[in-house]
Amino acid sequence: MPARTPAGPIALWRSQSGRAAASADRCPHRGMRLSHGFVRGEALSCIYHGWSYARTGNCLRIPAHPGLTPPETIRVATQQVKESDGVIWVAVGEPAVEPPRLEGVVPLRSLTAHASVAAVEAATDALVWQAQTSRKIRLLLVPQEDDQTLIHVLVDDNSSPSERIAASRAAETLRRLAEDLQTKGIA
Amino acid sequence: MKLYDYVLSPSCYKVRLMAALTGVKLEIRPVDFHPGAEHRDPEFLALNPAGSIPILEDGVLILTESAAILAYLASKTAPEWLGSGAPEEVARIQQWLSFAHRLTSSLGGARLHEMLLRPGDIGALQAQGIAALRELEAGLVEQGLRGMRFLASDRPTVADIACFPYVALAPDGGIPLDPYPAIRLWSRAIRGLENFIEMPGIHRLHELKSEPNVEPGDA
Amino acid sequence: MTQDAMIDEWYPVGLFSQLDMNGHRTALMGEPIDVALDAEGNAKVTSGDGHTLPVCVRYGHVWSSLGKPRKELFAIPEADQPGRRFVDVGVVRVRCSPLRAVENFLDIAHFPFVHTDILGAEPHTEVLDYKVEIRQDKDEVWATQVKFYQPQAAKSASGGITTEYMYRVPAPTCSVLYKTCPPRPGEWDVITLFVQPLAEDLCNVWPWMALFDDVTPMTDLIHFQQTIFLQDRSILENQIPRLLPLDPGMEIPTRADLTSVAYRRWLKRHNYIYGAQLVAQ
Repeated sequence: MPARTPAGPIALWRSQSGRAAASADRCPHRGMRLSHGFVRGEALSCIYHGWSYARTGNCLRIPAHPGLTPPETIRVATQQVKESDGVIWVAVGEPAVEPPRLEGVVPLRSLTAHASVAAVEAATDALVWQAQTSRKIRLLLVPQEDDQTLIHVLVDDNSSPSERIAASRAAETLRRLAEDLQTKGIA
Repeated sequence: MKLYDYVLSPSCYKVRLMAALTGVKLEIRPVDFHPGAEHRDPEFLALNPAGSIPILEDGVLILTESAAILAYLASKTAPEWLGSGAPEEVARIQQWLSFAHRLTSSLGGARLHEMLLRPGDIGALQAQGIAALRELEAGLVEQGLRGMRFLASDRPTVADIACFPYVALAPDGGIPLDPYPAIRLWSRAIRGLENFIEMPGIHRLHELKSEPNVEPGDA
Repeated sequence: MTQDAMIDEWYPVGLFSQLDMNGHRTALMGEPIDVALDAEGNAKVTSGDGHTLPVCVRYGHVWSSLGKPRKELFAIPEADQPGRRFVDVGVVRVRCSPLRAVENFLDIAHFPFVHTDILGAEPHTEVLDYKVEIRQDKDEVWATQVKFYQPQAAKSASGGITTEYMYRVPAPTCSVLYKTCPPRPGEWDVITLFVQPLAEDLCNVWPWMALFDDVTPMTDLIHFQQTIFLQDRSILENQIPRLLPLDPGMEIPTRADLTSVAYRRWLKRHNYIYGAQLVAQ
């Protein structure tokens, strides 16, 4: 799936053995976005010509030339990926520390707001959380391009399904408010 | 059964997809929608005064609304696609079937504008399309929390088929699907169904096939 | 950016069969233009500021230019061969560089992945060596002896065959494909891609065909070609960068891409750079 880090767009994918990987979202052959591609075994293939890449970024296969071992020089940039507490973290460069632990909460959903991080934070402050969402909701905010924000929503790991649905709806309300603030130029 | 069909129409594709999934054989009568505008010819207006396709003809029965055609195909051959009959499920199916009209006008309108140069206020169509996609995303998240992978139940119904084509083709109208992870999973679940067929703009899930062992000279 | 050599080229701006006196507003290289029929029934193209632009009507389409074309529109001799059926496939708009649209048309290696079970299928992915040249007499890019296994090469094909292709680029945004003709061995079907550059990253694509096929209904022929092109469209709208990189380094070609390599070199040599990117960015 497509994602974004400060180093640019990435294709985030999980190999058949279950390992997550992050590759630059552009096949060096013809510039096609790799997030449109497909995963077979431990490789990500481009949808355009089927060139496939390992988790480490080197090109494994060029279907137009089945006899050819692709030279080492054909590769996509990759980034380090860590999975912890149900959240996938991608590091730009060499991370000095492990991702923070998120104990007692589980990821609920991710949604994109057409509002800056500041606007989402302002909306969080302004929003009176409804009574049914008395349980903790944690947000991880990631700035995207064009003044958008990716909001990862986490809830108490002992919340019931109906509480989780309520939290999902609360996140929608938060987004509406943040976008409203953004439009009005308040944040 | 005869389907008056246009290969690039998501509404016609709903019918072809439903027929493929339920094993119904259709006689296809291609309609030159673009560039010929054949669906506006007198012969077609006599069949469907609304001037729209798909049209399904089965003996004396003529159906011109895709939701009705889906229901007809399902009741005839595969009633499990109409859901279990539980009140909540019946309601959810109707809810999403009605919702599908909004997808047609917003995402479908944007697609016709961006691809086949039909008139329209593209900014408004795209904004309405995004609003509809957000509703669908939220609905699918909630279904997931109820332990269900599809719109009305844990198995696909006519509601999924009614919504899937315009959603999958939203990028044709300049509306990216990148921000909708639940829609992505749902779409993959539909594309992975046995006997699923594609239409132009929806690529084959090549991951469903294993890597072929190709030796040079095989071609 | 319109001051390159492409300004003096002919471009398709509409289907002649669909023109009327009311006309329609479109664009050429960023300039608005109007295309209409005049009182005598001839095609007329006018620039946004009211100037009459050059016009010719050929291969089902109206062609025009913002500049002063130095030669007539390229010839497709097969278009005058008796017995062929001409197929106006109609316009499709694509948010990509007009040059990327042509380059994709020249490519066969994507068939198994993008036109799965029609123009190609795994495991038949290998692209055998073929010949590419710039023909000096006409100054055109040609690729010949291009062979590929195709499950359903044409509407008229039943079952898989190894198809032979010849590609020709007679103008920077037009390509003509000659392809094995299933019902008439020895003859070539002609399939073209005429591209109207609206902007450097936006184009109208007008596929057109001249086929030997007396059997297949016209609508089926149109739908077959629209299917193929719409499968390409979602690729073309997702290539980065949108503009075609002409300098080596930005993208990696292989032997299968020799037509594309020749096309890019030919574009650069002629300063055909509308829709191109010259420096790796």
